[in-house]
Amino acid sequence: MTKGVVLVVDDEVQIRDILGFYLKRAGYQVLLAENGRQALEVMVKVQPDLILSDLRMPELAGDEFCRIVKGKPETRDIYFVLVSAMDGSSSKIGGLNLGADDMITKPFHAQEVMAKVESAFRIIAMQNEIKRQNLELTRFQDRMTAELSLAARLQMGLLPSIPGQAAGIRYTHRYLPAEGIGGDIYSILPALDGGAAVLIADVSGHGVTAALVSAMVKTFFEAQVRLGGGPLAWAHAMNRDLTRSTLSEQFATAFLAHLDPATATLHYVVAGHDAPLYIAQGARGGLRRPGLLPGKGFMLGIDENLPFTEQSCPFELGDRMILFTDGLVEVEREDRTLLGHDGLLRVCSELPQDAERAADHIVETVRQFNDPMAFEDDVTLVVMDRT
Amino acid sequence: MLNIQTRQEGNSSVVTIQGKVNFEVTAQLRDVIRDTVTTHLPKLLVINLEGVNFIDSSGLGLLVAARNSVDKNNGKLHLCGLPPQVKKTFDQTNLTNYFSIFATEQDALRGA
Repeated sequence: MTKGVVLVVDDEVQIRDILGFYLKRAGYQVLLAENGRQALEVMVKVQPDLILSDLRMPELAGDEFCRIVKGKPETRDIYFVLVSAMDGSSSKIGGLNLGADDMITKPFHAQEVMAKVESAFRIIAMQNEIKRQNLELTRFQDRMTAELSLAARLQMGLLPSIPGQAAGIRYTHRYLPAEGIGGDIYSILPALDGGAAVLIADVSGHGVTAALVSAMVKTFFEAQVRLGGGPLAWAHAMNRDLTRSTLSEQFATAFLAHLDPATATLHYVVAGHDAPLYIAQGARGGLRRPGLLPGKGFMLGIDENLPFTEQSCPFELGDRMILFTDGLVEVEREDRTLLGHDGLLRVCSELPQDAERAADHIVETVRQFNDPMAFEDDVTLVVMDRT
Repeated sequence: MLNIQTRQEGNSSVVTIQGKVNFEVTAQLRDVIRDTVTTHLPKLLVINLEGVNFIDSSGLGLLVAARNSVDKNNGKLHLCGLPPQVKKTFDQTNLTNYFSIFATEQDALRGA
């Protein structure tokens, strides 16, 4: 096992012999060439770890040879030591500017050259270690990226398919996670009593952890809906479940609602979430007067003994509701202003009748308002029409 | 940028926060609060939010966790100096009724 491969390039046979002798004795494999051109031919067959090259040589001089070696991706990592006479025209700085890794001036002692070679190989070993670690990191990153994109696809699968319909509600959504994967979730499903159950929630934080908790929130919600009851009971149970099963800083803001189509009434609980916009007869399009549903309450998951309150509002045929997470309205622009609820009310005062076009209109208008910054948090928007 | 300062006032610790409290800075803030609580075991922890212009849900989460950890040591957490924007967030999430909130640091320290 050799300590490495050294290519000695010099037109003087004595120098090749002396360097070759010392290098072999020290345990290196030695390749010899008389000039740059010959050296390039040798390198086609065997790639050296280190090149010791004279500067002045016929056919292809050391500076040009160095430029060629350092110019090719496959050879540029070879450690290049330029050997030259100290005569001003070939200053050390000049040589290093050519891309050489080090310089030796003639005349030299063989021991000096050997010391340089030994230190060069220490550097080569370090470089190889860094390259190896880099490769490992790149592979790790690729794996993580692949896993994340798989998780993001799975999360998309947790959202209702759109356009959707449940007991007197027609809905669609726009979902824009900040990091490919996010902490927003919503769910609309038929309730046991023939009504519709609605949830939109935003888990604190971003990324994988928030996404995992958001999946739990959805599961807790749907389990509660299948047990019957209404938003108040759901909120208390979900708060308890979330408090017990998450870490101390993980919470969810949520809006939970139940629609009774017979009485055209929506019962709801606001749990720290932005209350939805209510647009009377909004599903018919045109100029309307939207308002924010009143209500406030604790986030889910803080303390299992906290109380929640239920409220109700009419939700008649032709009415529209806009559910959203705060990422939609809380982007700070360069002038430090936010769209806020007032801004969103303005945006929603005239929407297309078609829910898909209405959703696109809201996202596009808000995006333009925030320009050049689009959204920095997860954004979920649900347009829900009473039909 | 977030600026955090801590000081002791007798048995009380005061943490003063300035800037935007969001997901990116909660780790830094969490360390400071934890160090303060474990080092000084304060009877009263005052968090002054006067210079905070924005707080998101992770920031709120951190404050709730701070209250829980102070509770465990039989201490109290008082918040003070909530700017209007932050006050709005607290109102919306009902946290105004969860925390003891004071107008000024003096009030918070007196517990009045």
